[in-house]
Amino acid sequence: MFEPKDSLTVDLTNCDREPIHIPGSIQPHGVLFALTEPELTIVQLSNNTLSLFGIAPEQLLNQPLHQLISEDQIRILEDCLLAENLQDVNPLELLIHSGERSSSEDPSETAPPQTFNGIIHRSHGLLILELEPVSTPQSNAYFNFYHLVKSGLSRLKDTKELQTLCQTVVNHIQRLTGFERVMVYRFDEQWNGSVYAEAKLKELDPYLHLHYPASDIPTQARDLYLKNGLRIIPDVSYQPVELIPAINPITQTALDLSQSSLRNVSPIHVEYLHNMGVGSSMSITLVKDKTLWGLIACHHRTPKMVPYEVRNACEFLGQVMSLELTDKEDLENYEYQITAKTIQSRLIEYLSKTDRFVEGLLNFEPNILDLVNAQGAILFFENQFYTLGNTPALADFQPLFDRIQQYIQLEGIFHTNSLVQQFPEAEPFKDVASGVMALSLSKVPSHCILWFRSEVIQTVNWGGNPNKPVEVISGEDVRLSPRKSFELWQETVRCTALPWRKYEINAALDFRNAIVGVVLRKAEELATLNRDLQRTNTELDAFAYIASHDLKEPLRGIHNYACFLMEDYSEVLQEDGKEKLKTLVRLSQRMEMQIDSLLHFSRLGRVDLNLYETDLNELVHHTLDLLRGRLEESKVSIEIPQPLPTLYCDRVLVQEVFSNLISNAIKYNDQVTKRIEIGFRKSSKSFYVRDNGIGIQAEHYDTIFRIFKRLHGPKRYGGGTGAGLTIVKKIVERHGGRIWIESTPGKSTTFFFTLPL
Amino acid sequence: MTGTSEPVILIIEDSDEDFESFCRIARKSQVNHLIFRCIEGDEVLPFLRSTNSCLEKAVPFPSLIILDLNLPGLDGRELLKRIKQDETFKQIPVIVWTTSVNPKDIEICYKHGANSYLLKPMDINLLNETIQGLINFWLKIALLPHQET
Repeated sequence: MFEPKDSLTVDLTNCDREPIHIPGSIQPHGVLFALTEPELTIVQLSNNTLSLFGIAPEQLLNQPLHQLISEDQIRILEDCLLAENLQDVNPLELLIHSGERSSSEDPSETAPPQTFNGIIHRSHGLLILELEPVSTPQSNAYFNFYHLVKSGLSRLKDTKELQTLCQTVVNHIQRLTGFERVMVYRFDEQWNGSVYAEAKLKELDPYLHLHYPASDIPTQARDLYLKNGLRIIPDVSYQPVELIPAINPITQTALDLSQSSLRNVSPIHVEYLHNMGVGSSMSITLVKDKTLWGLIACHHRTPKMVPYEVRNACEFLGQVMSLELTDKEDLENYEYQITAKTIQSRLIEYLSKTDRFVEGLLNFEPNILDLVNAQGAILFFENQFYTLGNTPALADFQPLFDRIQQYIQLEGIFHTNSLVQQFPEAEPFKDVASGVMALSLSKVPSHCILWFRSEVIQTVNWGGNPNKPVEVISGEDVRLSPRKSFELWQETVRCTALPWRKYEINAALDFRNAIVGVVLRKAEELATLNRDLQRTNTELDAFAYIASHDLKEPLRGIHNYACFLMEDYSEVLQEDGKEKLKTLVRLSQRMEMQIDSLLHFSRLGRVDLNLYETDLNELVHHTLDLLRGRLEESKVSIEIPQPLPTLYCDRVLVQEVFSNLISNAIKYNDQVTKRIEIGFRKSSKSFYVRDNGIGIQAEHYDTIFRIFKRLHGPKRYGGGTGAGLTIVKKIVERHGGRIWIESTPGKSTTFFFTLPL
Repeated sequence: MTGTSEPVILIIEDSDEDFESFCRIARKSQVNHLIFRCIEGDEVLPFLRSTNSCLEKAVPFPSLIILDLNLPGLDGRELLKRIKQDETFKQIPVIVWTTSVNPKDIEICYKHGANSYLLKPMDINLLNETIQGLINFWLKIALLPHQET
């Protein structure tokens, strides 16, 4: 039916490489000249001038064109060459006297000049002139271009749906050309084709809805269809006419015939047409958004020439139809687009209202499933998976998810209606995940949505077995041949979901753009909040510092005056009065300690850490030295079972951590033999200080870190300000670490902490 | 310590209690110096300028300044800087006498030319020790400017 190619076998390479644009020959129904400009010297021509003009090609080669065409016509031609677009001037009507004239003695006996349609284009700096005889000159009036297209156009305009448009076009073209079969052949995303509309003689088998594999029309053939609006093969059984000389003397290569209307047909394609029982064919290109959308394919069982004007009208109708395609297809999508927009704006509305992104996408009606008509979805957001509807089990699907995610990290979007074809390991998920569309929402951090469609078992009618698009005849000469059988061949399609429509893919992409807006706005809000928080923190630090500083002044006054009172009036005061003054002094001292702790704590939040490589063995021993008095007094045994590591930390602060924890271990211990173990766990990279003391109830694990929070009365366990653990926690957190407790009340407490910096 | 003009100490201190505590301990230590007090930072430079030994009834030039850092108006740190930048006043020893343990304060004060930096302790015994130490060194051992011997 079309210029063919073989399938996904080794043969693919051969066929794909067949240089069909430089066949070195043409079809015999016209003559081709390659001319230099501006001299218009014939540097290459087809070897059929003798049969068409009665002049041997040797007589014309390297001769000026006016050897053949009168000066008047040459001047017209030269004028045409100035046109911006040569296509616009085609065809040129040229009169050519046959070769016998020069030999004839009596001019009156000269045969009348023959009329040709001259079609010109340029190729690699050469002017290509193709001449086709006008077989029925009187038909010109009838085949008036305007007349030919007028009725067709008005009918095209009246159609609403794509299907009607296509049917109208095939009907009209069949009427114009008289081809026995006219079809609209439509490509899918994988370049497989199917017959979308058909007009035919009753006795012919219908091809309507038959599918053809992509290999039937290989890439380079599709490229040529894009370049040329129309392609005609008037007689499939023709003998090709070679060009003389074979190599163009100007370009030193074979002549590029990409835009030639006479271009020779690939022998494989000819064979293909033969196998289909086609005697002549014509194809009109249908283009949408600069890509090949389909073809209007015309077949006749016998040879058939279509006059240039009619072909021109057909090509024009093809162009008009191409323009209509966008409208018609958009109309098909229109209703969907409205729905998609509504769903999208609802989702965006939810997102802006809720603080939780995930909730906005999943927890309302409509949700992200409705957006693209999916049955399931996985949302991957902030390293968490969220599922909706029917999805594969996450644990099993993870490796595939990773691969898809890698892909969309680069490409932004991925979609397939048969995941198995892309990833064979997806077979077990075909029930729910035959169709997958994945959309990257942001690269860093990686957020994405995967949509799923379940398997739909379909039956496709193929024109012949699609898996055997070529027959390989093996023997001494391995020869490729397009398949001979075009019998209906049914395939049951498994592991395939309904395809993702262009408008659904666009809806997903649009949705991402909309989300980005929301996310950006949220990020901005967060940044503002962060700035505010930072300022508040700084202010709080300054406040704590100034407040505690200023509090100390009156406190010192109270303290001093109480002391002065005791000094100056000790004789006057009774024991009870003196006791009360002593209490006053003690309380003022305790308050001062608390203020100092607060001061220290607030400074910890602000000062920069002095990080040095520190041997923790040395540090701990130094700490123990400083505490030696208390350790000896309380008869504490210290055990360090394994050497401690060396790491970067602020020595003074980490020493304070150990000092505080060891002090607590001594303080909160009723045992006669007090034991403290200091160690490091390699597995969790955590330090620990363990005692055999009174322990802590689990419910207090958090509260003991609160500043000034004490679990015991002020006089028990030696008192203290209640700031030690708060300060320890702050220091650990300043080092990027965390602190936690394990304890058995009445037996022991272990403080663990990490210092990752 | 003889002559018509008694040695003068200037205390710049906004807290009455701290000032009183200082005076109380100084009295017990038999300090006979004239003690002048400024409460606000802004008062200090005008006061110092008015102490002119050429005028008969003028306040004598202080031999020692005791300076609190946190003051109403002009801050103690800034005041210290201005005193130490003045050609005439910079010879007067300035003892910073403050609650602040902030290392930055200590650094700034010495950089600006403080002659020593003392903490106001909370404990009455420590307070006694500190003030007596100050008196012993600066008023009994050290020789101060404008003191005739």
